Order: sequence, then structure tokens, then C-alpha cells
Amino acid sequence: MLSQAVVKRLKEIVGEKNVVTDKVGLLTYGYDGTLLSGEALGVVSPTTTEQVVEIVKLMNEHDIKLVPRGAGTNESGGTIPSEKSVVISFTKMTKIHEIDTENFVAVVEPGVINFDLQVELAKKNFYFPPDPSSFKASTIGGNLGECSGGPKCFKYGVTRDYMLGLEVVLPNGKVIQTGGRNFQSEPGYDLTRIIVGSEGILGLVTKVFVRILPIPRAKKTMLALYDKVEDASQTVADIVAAGIIPTTLELMDNLLINTTEDFTHAGLPRDAGAVLIIEVDGYQEDMDEQVKTIGEIASKIAKEFKVAQSAAEVDQIWTSRRSAFGSVARVRPSYGVNDITVPRSNFPKAIGGVLKVAKDFGVTIGVVAHAGDGNLHPLILFDQRNKEETETVHAAEQALCMMALDLDGTISGEHGIGLVKKKYLDKEFTPAAMEAFRKIKRSFDPSNRFNPGKIIDL
Amino acid sequence: MGVLQDVYEMLNTCNKCGGCHTACKTYKLTGAETMVARGRIQLIKAVADGKLEPNQEYEDAIMSCLLCGECAVTCPNGVHGNELVMAARRDLKLKKGIKPFVKSFALNTLASPKRLDMGFRLFKGMGKSFLNKIDGLDYFRGIDIRNFPTAKKPFLEQVPEKITVQHPKHKVGFYVGCFLNHALDQTAHSVVKVLTKNDCEVIIPKDQVCCGLPQYCYGDFETAKKNARKTIDTFLDKYSDAEVILSACGSCVAMLRHDYLKLFADEPSYLEKVKLFCEKVVEFSEYMEKIGVDQTKLHNSTPLTVTYHDPCHMVRGLKVTKQPRQLLQMVPRIEYKEMFEANRCCGAAGLIQAFYHEVSTDITDQKTQNIKDTNADLVATSCPACMLRLQGGINKVGQKQKVMHVADIMANAYED
Ligand SMILES: Cc1cc2nc3c(=O)[nH]c(=O)nc-3n(C[C@H](O)[C@H](O)[C@H](O)COP(=O)(O)OP(=O)(O)OC[C@H]3O[C@@H](n4cnc5c(N)ncnc54)[C@H](O)[C@@H]3O)c2cc1C
Ligand code: SF4
Ligand code: SF4
Repeated sequence: MLSQAVVKRLKEIVGEKNVVTDKVGLLTYGYDGTLLSGEALGVVSPTTTEQVVEIVKLMNEHDIKLVPRGAGTNESGGTIPSEKSVVISFTKMTKIHEIDTENFVAVVEPGVINFDLQVELAKKNFYFPPDPSSFKASTIGGNLGECSGGPKCFKYGVTRDYMLGLEVVLPNGKVIQTGGRNFQSEPGYDLTRIIVGSEGILGLVTKVFVRILPIPRAKKTMLALYDKVEDASQTVADIVAAGIIPTTLELMDNLLINTTEDFTHAGLPRDAGAVLIIEVDGYQEDMDEQVKTIGEIASKIAKEFKVAQSAAEVDQIWTSRRSAFGSVARVRPSYGVNDITVPRSNFPKAIGGVLKVAKDFGVTIGVVAHAGDGNLHPLILFDQRNKEETETVHAAEQALCMMALDLDGTISGEHGIGLVKKKYLDKEFTPAAMEAFRKIKRSFDPSNRFNPGKIIDL
Repeated sequence: MGVLQDVYEMLNTCNKCGGCHTACKTYKLTGAETMVARGRIQLIKAVADGKLEPNQEYEDAIMSCLLCGECAVTCPNGVHGNELVMAARRDLKLKKGIKPFVKSFALNTLASPKRLDMGFRLFKGMGKSFLNKIDGLDYFRGIDIRNFPTAKKPFLEQVPEKITVQHPKHKVGFYVGCFLNHALDQTAHSVVKVLTKNDCEVIIPKDQVCCGLPQYCYGDFETAKKNARKTIDTFLDKYSDAEVILSACGSCVAMLRHDYLKLFADEPSYLEKVKLFCEKVVEFSEYMEKIGVDQTKLHNSTPLTVTYHDPCHMVRGLKVTKQPRQLLQMVPRIEYKEMFEANRCCGAAGLIQAFYHEVSTDITDQKTQNIKDTNADLVATSCPACMLRLQGGINKVGQKQKVMHVADIMANAYED
């Protein structure tokens, strides 16, 4: 429990309404997108950088940890409260300070929801390329915390590639500004890139300078349907080998086609073994050529290839793809999402590996993948209430991670490490590299006050 | 099995994906995780698991839900947050009863025709003039009380039980509902006018009662059932010659058509009769569309711009969205303009406007802004509760639009 004095101070800093200490409130800030949960001592929702500074100082005085939180949709346990911690929720810092279309910059607060930013940008014919499937709920602060990717990553890169600068409150309560609104890289250390993807363990981001782009003039969305998921993975490798970079190259297997169809009724064929969603963008003149080349490559293996004819059709396809994670509880109540990533050329092998794990462990796995990036999300479906089954699932997850590492891949492409993947990190990095991580954490946060226990143990 | 155990599988199907964050207005406006479907569901689950004893904060989370159903259509897992909240309210009612104030002031009054009538008479006679004298008290918790309409006398006392026409083609039973009976009697007259102009004989049972929705929403299934039974028996036994049972209130229709089936699910001996009743229930615009309106009889010389607000129960409960828009566009010289987020809740949400007024006021303010952006002269809708809420909200911010029922706009276009 927080002492009366601390609660009183917190209320003075952020106002009565923005402090939660009752059991009901705490319960709702104890979970995220994973199956884990915890309970904080309190939840505080600041609305300005000054308030964040005051909160950090107060917590330091009382030796209380802080767990930063956006929308709490992460898939790594990254916002699960640790012992003796207060959750600092950024959902009330939602101002879009500025949209500067001349210099391709927007300045936003961390609690701005990705989708809300896209809506404002679209009014000026601009957009922010990182668009995780959770973009209607997830915040810019959370996106940068995990260095999220999205369907457009193949061509446009991940969140990191769109962060120009940050305002950060450090664990000692001091405020720094990293980078800036200019494109050039930072003189000195690139602190922006150290903070991005650091999952809230190094600093609290209170302002973000993001790079924005004009909406491409034209785009085409295609669907390729396959009998088997292995066949689809071969097209992915073929497209990459041909040196073509579509905007997106997304894969869903039969299980996901069916769960998303239950929700969207987009008309994807329920008997297909897999579907590839392929999108290209650019100038109108280039569209036909690109569609033709991709069509030729895909048609070698696909049982059907088609180009979406209307905007409504495109919308439906994307609603399906974006609801993939969300929709699997229709089959089984719990899921373990994996985030393994392999070099693109190894993508077919990774698909083979996933199928083998499913068979070896006798578990149900649905596959959805940002295939262009070699990033796979094998979703293992089960029921958490069944202890035995849960253990098998954990073993299968480990096997998936090992398989990815064997293929020169990584255990996490975009969801972060948090608590969930922590135990596999030293399989990917050498002891010396792990020590370097610890040293960076200690130099920012010697008392281990920000999001302790996430990514690495000190 | 307890109420929450019955819905446990659905509780457990929410995998906390956050998909409902955009859908839920109470979250959008507060940023509080207790005020979104995901949070509410996790709390209900905690109660079901015995990890949480219902307390005041829990009640606030459950009672502040608008029951707008937006989360249910947005959830990729097919979880119906609104139904889980309903189960939680029922569970609360069984465990703790209903708060005396809500119960006596609102629910019991609504449930009994006599008390409701008394209430309105009191409000009209003393309350309203008294309130008018207090400066600054135009709005009670965002509700425009100074302009709150009251019928001179209840509509049911103004009309005969049967209104005949020269060449009857259809026989329609009219379920009036509390709001049209006591507050918006003009709209009830409009409904009758449009029906008779389209060769419908109208039967209006005098002894009809509240449909039971307000009680049902607060988990008081017993009272809701009593009223439901009375409604069903009245229409089916005494007025069985009515081909359909029509209402001009989307919420009443959703209750009569869908929720009655749920209420009596545990009473197989009566359920057949309930089914018969539910099949006969129609919403005003749905019915007019079905029987076909003779457009040549509609006249209007003033050019008007009209926009339409979809009540929650119409769009998500009944899935009726096209018909009211089509009817409006049949009226000559009406230019129809769609507003942004026409299908989102107006903030009335039954008694939420009185008990959680901070949230509902913000929701209404957004709605009135969307209305303003259309430059419309008139706002049409299909639910009297929305009508009152919208007009109050519009007046509060000093806008000029008039809110009318679709039936009112049509009725005005017929010669007397
Ligand atoms: C249905 C679904 C689909 C998803 N799709 C994708 C996808 O396509 N691609 C993808 O990459 N991820 C995806 N995710 C995972 C998740 O949505 C992303 O990681 C997202 O960026 C998290 O944002 P959030 O606002 O929910 O952050 P949270 O979960 O609240 O936080 C994420 C991390 O950032 C930290 N953090 C948050 N705000 C701040 C701040 N202001 N300062 C410092 N640290 C902060 C937190 O401590 C935490 O470590 C998906 C999740 C779901 C449920
Ligand atoms: S109710 Fe549905 S949309 Fe909301 S968090 Fe649960 S599963 Fe996701
Ligand atoms: S019914 Fe409406 S207010 Fe209630 S949880 Fe669902 S979206 Fe939110």
C-alpha cells in the first residue's frame, strides 16, 4: 500500500482524478496482451512533462519503482507491474503538438493513439508508416517502447526508422532531449536509438518527434491463395529473390483465415491453406508493371491470384489481417504469441520448422506472418486452465525460439522481450553482449527504478 | 450455476487484445481502463473467480457502461461486452439489490403507469415551475430540464382505442411506450397520422405498460418480466387481430423483439407465446418501408437539410439503418446529409445521463458538434430518449437545429 502522504502528494501533482489506488482500478492496470498479470500499488496518469518529473522525484524519495504504460496491448508482459511499483499511465498525454508537412515532422505526446495520429495526418495527405495491427488501440509511446513493426515494414521499416527525436525524463528526474526535428543523425551518441525499443527501462518518453511521409499516390492490393502454407512461403522467397520490394507481404494460414472470416466475412476462401496479402504503392504509372511481375511469380505456385477491385474490398482484407491475433479466442481461450524472425531467404525453412513443432508437441498452431520481413507469429492455442497443456505449450515455444536461432534468426522481431522472452535472451546473445546490456541499464538507472525485471535481470 | 458462471466462457474468451478501445466512448473520453469493455470484462471475471468482492468502484465500472453495444461489433473474438455487463448487473442485483434511489425514483416509477403519470403531473405542476425559478439550474447534470417536454395529458388518454380509416389495408397494434405517452405525445400523434394516411387501422390498447427495459438494464428481471408478461398478454389475448405490434421507439422494439425471448428462456411453457409475440413486433420505419409509402401524397414547400442519428438499439440492436434514411429522402425538398459517426451513442444511455453525467455530457457534446458540421436544419432520429438528449445538448451549446422523429417529419408532409 502507498502511504497516505505519498497518495496525497501524487494527487497534488496530477489532480485527484488521475490517481488510482483502489483495488478495482489497480486490477485493470495489472494486465496486458499476454496471460500474465500483477498488481501495482497505484496508477498515476500525468498530463505534462513537469508532472512526470515531479512523480519521478517523489518515487525516488520513497524508493518506489515506476512501470510505464501506454494502452497495455504489448505481447511481452512489458507493462506487468513488478513488486512495489506504481504504474505511470500515459493515456492522458494525448496532444498532437504540431504537424509540419513542409519538414515531414509531427510532434506528439506519448499517449496519442497511432490511429488518431493517422486520422489527423490523413487530413493533410500524410501518414506515419509504422502501423502495428493494434494501431487502433496502441499508443506512440508504446510503439516506440517496443519498436513495433507493422504490415508496411517490409518497404518502410519499423518504428525506430521514424523517430527523429525524443524528450525523455531520466530515472534521476532530469529531462533530456535527444535528436531533433531534423533528418540528420545525431552528433554524439545516437541516444534516440538507445531509448527506442528499450521497453521503458531507461527513461520515460514525454514528447516524440516523428517522421511522417506523404501518402503514396497509388496502391494496389493483391491476394494469392494457396493449398499449403509451405507453397505460400515459397512465393515469399521468390519475390524477395527477384529483388521486388512490395509495401507489404503478409501471410495467414488456414486457421487464421477461418477465425478472421468468422468476424469480418471478407470472403476469403475458408478451404485455402494460406493466403498472401501483397500490396505495392508508388506512382500510378508503375502499378501495372509491378502487379504483373508479382502476379507472374505468385501464379507459378498459387492456386489463385487476384487484384482487389474496390477500396471497400481492400478495407475488408485489412480488417481481416488486423484482427488476426484478436480473433483466435474463437477456437481456444488462450494463446501464446511468438515473434520469431529469420532472414527472408530462410522463411520457407522457418515455416517448415513451425509445422514440425506443431506436430512434435501435438499443439494447435495458427500462423500469421509479416512474411516480407521473415517475421512469424506462430500462435499456439490452448486453455490456460489446463496445467498440463500449458506446460506443453511452453516447451513448444522454446522449441520455436531455438528453431529460429538455428536459422540465424532472432527470438523477437517486434514485440519486445519484457518478461515473456527474457529467459531466451541469453540463448541469442553472448555473455559479453548481455553484460553490455546490463551496463547500459545501470548507467541510466543505477537504482533499477524504471520497469525493473523487464528484458534483463541486473 | 450463478449468473456469471453462465457467461463464464464468454468472459474467458476476451483475450485482452484492446480492440474495443476505439469502440468504447466511455474509454475514449476518460482514458480510464475501468471504463472500457476490456477492463469491465476483466473485473467481472475477477468477481466470477472470487478474486474481487463487488464494491462501489466495481459498481461504477459496471453501471457507467452505456450498453451501446459498440464493443460487441468491434470485438474480433465475438465477445459481447454489453451482454457481459448485463449479466454483471443482474449478479449485482441478486447479491446486493438495487440502490434505493435508482429503484424508487426511476425504476419503480417507470414500471407502474400510475406512479409514472403522477410523477409527470408533479413535475409539470410544481417541479418545473419551481426549477424555473432557480437561476442557473437550467441543466440538471447535462439534462435540459427547463425545456423537458411534458404531455398535457398522457397520449393514451387523448385517443380512442381504435382509429379507423376508410379503406383499411392493414391492422396495426400501436405500442406507445413511456416517452411518447408522457413527454412526446405529438410524436405519437405523428405515428398515428402516417399510419392512417397509409391505410392502416390503428389499435391502441389503453392498458399498456412500460416495456421493462429500464428495469431489465439494472438487473431487475422480476419487474421486467412482470411488465413483459402484461404487454404480451395484452396484445396477444385482447388484441389478437392486430397484424403487427408497432413501436416508434427503437429501444422498446429491441426489448420487445429480442430481450423478451431471453427473459423467458427459462419458462418453456410460456416461451411459445413469447415467440409469437416477438415475431409480430416491428419498428416504425421498418414497417413503413415494408408496406410501401405512397410518395405522391407527401408535400413540402420549404427546402430543408436533414441529418439522421442512429440510436444504439436501432443500429446495433435491430440493425435498422437504411429505412429511416430512405423515408426521410422521400419527402420533397429535403436534402439529406450524413453526419460523422452517426451511429455512435448520443450519451443518453437510459439513466447513465443522470448518474454518470460527466461522461455522458462529453459524449453529447461530440454529437452536437458532428451535427453542427453538417449544417443541417433538422436532426431526425428514431428513439424518443435520443430526441430529448439531443435537443437538450443542442440547446445547451446554443445551436439552432430542431430534433424530430422520422414520423414527425413525415407527418408534417401529409395534408391534414
Ligand atoms: C491484436 C494485437 C495486434 C498486434 N499487432 C502488432 C503488430 O502488428 N506489430 C507489433 O510490433 N506489435 C503488435 N502488437 C503488440 C503491441 O500492440 C505493440 O507492442 C504496441 O506498440 C504496444 O503499444 P501500447 O500503447 O499498448 O504500449 P504498452 O503495451 O502499454 O507498452 C509497451 C512498452 O512500452 C513502454 N512504454 C509505454 N509508454 C512509454 C513511455 N511513454 N515512455 C517509456 N516507455 C513506455 C512500456 O513500459 C512497455 O514496455 C499487437 C498486439 C495486439 C494485442
Ligand atoms: S472484449 Fe474483445 S476487443 Fe475487447 S479486449 Fe476483449 S477480446 Fe479484445
Ligand atoms: S456497451 Fe458501449 S459503453 Fe459499454 S463497454 Fe461496450 S462500447 Fe463501452
